Amino acid sequence: MRACVMIDYLSLIIGHALLAIAFLRLVMRDDLDVDPELQSYADKAEAEREAASVAGRNARRRKDAASDESAN
Amino acid sequence: MLDLVFIAFIGYVLLLGIRRPFLWVLLYVYIDILAPQRIGYGIIQELQVSLIAFAAAFGGWLLLDRKEGARFSLRQFLILLLLVYCWWTLQWSEFPEPAGTKWDWVWKALLFAIFLPLTVTTRLRIEALALTLVLAVATIVIGTGMKTVLGGGGYENLKFFVTDNSGIYESSTLATVAIALIPIIAWFTRYGTIYRPHWMVSVFAGALIFSSLLIPIGTEARTGLVCIAALGVLLLRYTKRRFVFVAAAGVMGLAALPFLPSSYYERMATLTQPGGDESASTRIAVWEWTIDYAAENPLGGGFDSYRANSFTYRMPVRSEVGNTTSVEYREVTDEARAFHSSFFELLGEQGYPGLAIWLLMHGLGVWQMERIYRKWRGNQAETTEWIAPMAAALQMASLVYLVGATFQGIAYQPVMLMMVGLQIGLNSYVMRLESADHESSAEKPLSPSEKRAERQRAAAEARAKLALP
Repeated sequence: MRACVMIDYLSLIIGHALLAIAFLRLVMRDDLDVDPELQSYADKAEAEREAASVAGRNARRRKDAASDESAN
Repeated sequence: MLDLVFIAFIGYVLLLGIRRPFLWVLLYVYIDILAPQRIGYGIIQELQVSLIAFAAAFGGWLLLDRKEGARFSLRQFLILLLLVYCWWTLQWSEFPEPAGTKWDWVWKALLFAIFLPLTVTTRLRIEALALTLVLAVATIVIGTGMKTVLGGGGYENLKFFVTDNSGIYESSTLATVAIALIPIIAWFTRYGTIYRPHWMVSVFAGALIFSSLLIPIGTEARTGLVCIAALGVLLLRYTKRRFVFVAAAGVMGLAALPFLPSSYYERMATLTQPGGDESASTRIAVWEWTIDYAAENPLGGGFDSYRANSFTYRMPVRSEVGNTTSVEYREVTDEARAFHSSFFELLGEQGYPGLAIWLLMHGLGVWQMERIYRKWRGNQAETTEWIAPMAAALQMASLVYLVGATFQGIAYQPVMLMMVGLQIGLNSYVMRLESADHESSAEKPLSPSEKRAERQRAAAEARAKLALP
């Protein structure tokens, strides 16, 4: 009976310790809320949208012109 | 003292959740599975820890979560439909009082299963939920396994933390859930990021799997043995050296035989002789009764409709006098015998519509996991190689559960409904990945200036061709 109680306590300690460590590690990870894989697709799509837009093209031309001037 | 430890742990997770509210969802999962309020015996019983955790989980999601990628899927709709249908059949239930008691926990389990996938929107959340399920069940399984090794156990004799035979603390249910989780435990040894693959993780996982396999032995739950056999057959699909696998399983089984108590042999022997055991005989009689009942009540009789059954049958009763064992057939009358099968539980309580919704919900899950496995297997990318093995593990968990559910009334088992939530979360996540990948690889429409340049280039090519001769 005493051994059974000890085993119960031991399994409670193991389970809760592992859960506590896991939760602490989760809190410190940003990818819990923002998925890096999906975010990379979203960033890529955003970059492409920006490059295709008029403002994006103008910005690119300005950048190219500035780099030409500095080269001359 | 135990109460204070539980309260401290719950307080710790509530505090951590202020920074990451998803932890409150995991807290509810932990409380719903382990039921610390039933293990403790003081102040924790007074606190509505389950309600506090659910309020935190739902409130945190509603007010603080990004909710990016949260979508309401077909399977969530089916669970909602089942929930509404159960409420509807409750209105004409033949046994309103016990039906109301069952409804009290069923609606909460179904509602949480609808809510859970809305929160599981990233790879890490999928892993975190799977880990919480495994560790919460492991807390019970570790102790049970150790007691079995040390010679404790026996059908209905193994002392769990909670001894009222309810929820996951019922021996056959625990055996089914423990065996169903084995493929997910194995997944963590290769793809885990919370506890990264390491020899210590492998040793713990190996010990936990061994402990899970001991549950049907420790509890002498026959359903558990059937579940182990089902898992063995399912694993053949993912095993390269099948002959070695079958031989190793056989050797392990034979090696385990000398350690089994004689009562275990006696109980397992009834698997092949259902007529010699009252529990098994009753099962078949109740199932036949349920088919007749459903013919008269095709829309179901509401929760606990099995209480209407009563039947008399003849079965062999052994009696020993001195060295002589005599067998005589006696008439046995049984009343209000439980369904002993989730399929018949649904049929008797919710009729054919309820059974159809439940089957569709689980069938769709098995099919979705199959689709994901086939599409993503062989993927070597570091960020996505985990997807196919996770889908395979969740599919095996579902199938083992369905095999176990054939012999027990666990149609609304909260742990398995959480597993359904995990499957829905994985499916939604993969669909988002596939959709993003499709969009990024699809041909982009050309801008007007690009179209003009394309036309000019084509015209120049045509002129060049004409000028050639």
